[in-house]
Amino acid sequence: MATYAEMQQVFEDIKDDFRYDHELNGCLNCGICTATCPSAQFYDYSPREIVQLLWTENVEQIYDAMQEKIWACAQCMTCAARCPFKNSPGGLVAIMREVAIKHGMQSAKDVLRPFGRVMLKLITTGNQLSPDMIQPDHFPDWGPNIQKVEGNLKTLRKAIPVKTLQTTDTAWEVSLKTSVEMYTIWEMTGVLDSLELMDENLFDVIDDFIDEKREEYEDWLEEQEEDDDD
Amino acid sequence: MGDTVLVVGGGPAGLSAASGIAAAGKKAVLVEKEDKLGGAPILSGYAKLVPSGEWAKDAIGRMVSEVEGSKNITVHKSTTVTKLDGEVGNFTATLSNGQTVQAGSIVMGTGFTHFDSVNKPEWGFGTFPDVMTTTQMEQMVGSGKITCPSDGRVPERVAILLCVGSRDRQIGREWCSKICCTVSANLAMEIREMSPQTDVFIYYMDIRTFGLYEDKFYWKSQEEFKVKYVKARIAEVTKSPDGRLLVKGEDTLVKRPIVIPFDIVVHAIGMDPNEDNPELSRVFGVGLERHGYIERAEHYTNTCGTTKKGIYAAGAAYGPETIDDSISQGRAAAMRALSDL
Repeated sequence: MATYAEMQQVFEDIKDDFRYDHELNGCLNCGICTATCPSAQFYDYSPREIVQLLWTENVEQIYDAMQEKIWACAQCMTCAARCPFKNSPGGLVAIMREVAIKHGMQSAKDVLRPFGRVMLKLITTGNQLSPDMIQPDHFPDWGPNIQKVEGNLKTLRKAIPVKTLQTTDTAWEVSLKTSVEMYTIWEMTGVLDSLELMDENLFDVIDDFIDEKREEYEDWLEEQEEDDDD
Repeated sequence: MGDTVLVVGGGPAGLSAASGIAAAGKKAVLVEKEDKLGGAPILSGYAKLVPSGEWAKDAIGRMVSEVEGSKNITVHKSTTVTKLDGEVGNFTATLSNGQTVQAGSIVMGTGFTHFDSVNKPEWGFGTFPDVMTTTQMEQMVGSGKITCPSDGRVPERVAILLCVGSRDRQIGREWCSKICCTVSANLAMEIREMSPQTDVFIYYMDIRTFGLYEDKFYWKSQEEFKVKYVKARIAEVTKSPDGRLLVKGEDTLVKRPIVIPFDIVVHAIGMDPNEDNPELSRVFGVGLERHGYIERAEHYTNTCGTTKKGIYAAGAAYGPETIDDSISQGRAAAMRALSDL
């Protein structure tokens, strides 16, 4: 259990976010956000409750909401489109999630764990999903349709009339230079730091991968120079 | 010339101003853009007024008769002011009927425009025939029979949604329209009186039956007429397969989202600035405040003043206003205008 000082710090970090005052103007307690919220229909989650907790600075309940409730939001932002005060409950949830990650909360780790494969693909290639990730055991919701992507992926890709660059491990071809630039962005925006906090093993795998790619890129640059010298 | 006040607008404020000027032995020229006097209560067919309980056609009708019967008042209907020259003590107004009016001062009782509910499409107005505005429900009460426009059945349940076109930053209406809570409580009682088998629910963010309206309307509607109040702003109105309307909201006190069937949904529409205000501002040279209403001068020593000397305003021209206060302000503006003659 966190101490009050720790919970206070979590709230301060939420409040200090540069978006906070833009997303929260006050609250008329009308409930239109919760009425329109698809997640509120299925989970113990209410955008109005989140707004109220933040507006009334209820640090203990804010901390409590970050253990489970905030992860029920689908980030559809219908609440923001409806609020007569132009608050953005969904935007506040986004800030709370980032703070949960920054504080290494277990709830964040639990929620993000199933996304390990996607994270790996996204951070290393910039592609969220690639043909080789579409496997029957990962896509139960496809039902019998999943059969259609079984077999020789390369051949299947060729059957698609639009240009697919014939790759199967990415959605499109990513150049080495683009990848290396992307790694710099992940690094400088703190994405890799967040990842290290959330999943150390995944971070190690990705970190090694990035090192390799960077070396590859250095080698390629050297080759170019040599070619130029010739 | 030195004994005439130009009054613009023939609603409660303008009628009251004109009659006040006439009573003081001076002349009033009343210009009304519609073809009859009485303003919103008459033109929109309001039922019984708050707080008197008198029918609008009788109460406001009395004001109209008084003005039309006064030898000191000249009325121009279906007419607007197209041009204004001169200054306090010596204005010349050109009217759309080609006539000119010499006046020492001017009172603007130019009122408001009802909010157009099609600007909140998620609440079903214009999509479902059984969704209507408070003015339409007032007309229905005036006609003596409460029925669903779609098929003529007597409604089992009526929902009144408050703050439609008020207190809503999403559509740039950041004001409380002041009258709708009391009007809705009054309307709910009228519905219950005429159609006892119809239950009425009012969905609110706050109830603002200010001053003496608290017990006379808010409490009475609950205690004597069993009107139900639910603290919720409705997310959307849809239609169920059986043809009834589905109202989706959160009962914020019970804290769960709810979907409830209704037969009629009434929008308690707010008061927009008069849609002609940009034009009125240009013709009369008066400023508008940030919501689009006529800007009020310093109030304590320049009561009823606008940003232009010699031009005064009263009633809903300044912002959402009750009929009674519009009438009082009309008299106050007349007093100010008379002192310029």
